[in-house]
Amino acid sequence: MSQTTQAPLGTDMLTLKHAEHTIIEDLSVSFPAGKVTAIVGPNGCGKSTLLNGLSRVHLPSTGRIVLDGQDIHRLPSREVAKKLALLPQETSAPDGITVKELIRFGRHPHQSFLKQWGMDDRTAIQYALQAANLEDLGERLLDTLSGGQRQRAWIAMSIAQETPLLLLDEPTSALDLGHQIEVFDLIRELAAQGKTIVMVVHDLAMAARYSDHLIAMKSGKIVAQGSPKEVIQPSILDSLYGVQCDLMEDPSTGAPILLNVRRSRPEPSETQATTAPKRQAQRDAVSA
Amino acid sequence: MSVSTSSVTPGSSAAPSGQWLLAWGDKTLLLDQAACKRNLLLVLALVLISIVCLGIGTLPVAPTDVILALAGQGDTMTQFVVNDLRLNRLLAGIYTGAAFSIAGCLMQTVARNRLATPGIIGIDNAAMAFAVASVVGVGISFAPSAMALTGAATATALAFIIGGGSGTRGYRFIVAGLAIGSVSAAISQLLLAQVHIDTANEAYPWTVGSLSGRPEEQIPVMGWITLVGIIISVILCRRFQLMAFSDSVITALGRTPNRLRFTAVIVAVILTGFAVALAGPVGLVALVGPEMARTFARHRGLPLLSSALCGAIVMILADLVGRTLLSPIELPVGVVTAVVGGPYLLWILIRKPKRSTL
Repeated sequence: MSQTTQAPLGTDMLTLKHAEHTIIEDLSVSFPAGKVTAIVGPNGCGKSTLLNGLSRVHLPSTGRIVLDGQDIHRLPSREVAKKLALLPQETSAPDGITVKELIRFGRHPHQSFLKQWGMDDRTAIQYALQAANLEDLGERLLDTLSGGQRQRAWIAMSIAQETPLLLLDEPTSALDLGHQIEVFDLIRELAAQGKTIVMVVHDLAMAARYSDHLIAMKSGKIVAQGSPKEVIQPSILDSLYGVQCDLMEDPSTGAPILLNVRRSRPEPSETQATTAPKRQAQRDAVSA
Repeated sequence: MSVSTSSVTPGSSAAPSGQWLLAWGDKTLLLDQAACKRNLLLVLALVLISIVCLGIGTLPVAPTDVILALAGQGDTMTQFVVNDLRLNRLLAGIYTGAAFSIAGCLMQTVARNRLATPGIIGIDNAAMAFAVASVVGVGISFAPSAMALTGAATATALAFIIGGGSGTRGYRFIVAGLAIGSVSAAISQLLLAQVHIDTANEAYPWTVGSLSGRPEEQIPVMGWITLVGIIISVILCRRFQLMAFSDSVITALGRTPNRLRFTAVIVAVILTGFAVALAGPVGLVALVGPEMARTFARHRGLPLLSSALCGAIVMILADLVGRTLLSPIELPVGVVTAVVGGPYLLWILIRKPKRSTL
């Protein structure tokens, strides 16, 4: 996987609507190659919608999503699937499936009816099992795993897909602290091998600690982007979340730490306005 | 967590555990060992049950004589009874049972709901209403296949439109289908009440589902349709399996969710339409067949082929019961499947309250 200087993934004047509500308008952003980009922001800021747009679940109203210089919706779906993998937030799997069987589904875009199994499949699955530290759990039923193990199994499935790009939708939202660190370490490991990673992360401290590039969104717009140190500023946090805080540097990692966090003013009313369409979107996503 | 490539052993592309690998040239096929054994057993069971079915009747024929008769040997009377009187009926049962069952398995997968079989969501009844309308309207069975197919397609389209698209988690879709089914059944009854008793008798088989006295020329057609349905299911099974994942995963793996569902529904509608045209609305087979197959498959994968075989077995067994239980009075196969299938359905619902499978 080569580290190209040109961003492999980005958006160009992208507008995403949900029914009548515009969630994201004319957004142009690019995600640096070989880096971990974290998208953060308050509830309803459009970060999950943006990720749904990037993963082709939410169709753009106008504008484009650009993958390697081409409009993603003009490329054959299978070709995109060889370049761009997704770890979804809601992870429903076929019943009675083992870890290895789940990981094998990651090979789907590389296979066809008369090309069901080859060396490359075997190697990719073996590698994914190792990378996600699942070698001893390969034959276990997915249902019997702990939350952290299951999440690693899903990440292993996307590793087996052998894509240069990986999208993750709140990869640690349901995990305890130990498993969160485990998953983030794995994500860093993948980035170190040249994968370009874009993830939506709810926890600002974790995002700051584990990303190279931070994108802060509010009301469907980018408020700030850059290295975690550049983005985690009291003024930016105030406009994002309406909080005041002091900053400190983690002596061992250099990541910014938030101290003495307090509400700076009454809840801004626009937050509620932007939350409504997202709730609607979630409701529809559940029924879909 | 360490990541090292060194210990990945290159070399043989040995198949995953539990699979056989067939390779010729650059082409490879994986066969699930458990599925192969299971389907082989089911084929064996189907053959044995078929031979028994061909032997049972007013003139009993020993299994060995049945085999002789099928091979064109033995005395002419036995040959006539087996090959001319009973074989067609048996084949009609096998073909339609398999067709209903594949259709049921596909619809369940599309709707992600075990209740969403063609019979429940009104496809059977609508197909029946259209077929009855053609018989009643013209007085003879005027291309009931085409009419039934039209009915099936109409009902499906309506259920999807009213149910709010294919992405729904099932229940809206099922309730819409139930309504369409009831209205269709009422229309059939209304049509039959309007016409002369002979015409009504002509159309009667379609209203209950029967394998008795089916038009002979339609049976081979049904055979081909079922065969094509099975082949398509086997080829597309890999991608149909993805429907157990959420839409975002299907998309990420390079398939279009709506296109997948559309393909599966089209196959299901065609199979159901033709099967109803031949045997009437024996919709419970579409519920019982896949359910049996899933039990045998221990709920792994998408057992389309096993569903077809189970459906065929259920259908011919039900027909056997129907024509022997109260002999000489013949119960239509649709009545038997309803009597047996209803409780069976209740049992599967009660047996596993922990979670739904699919």
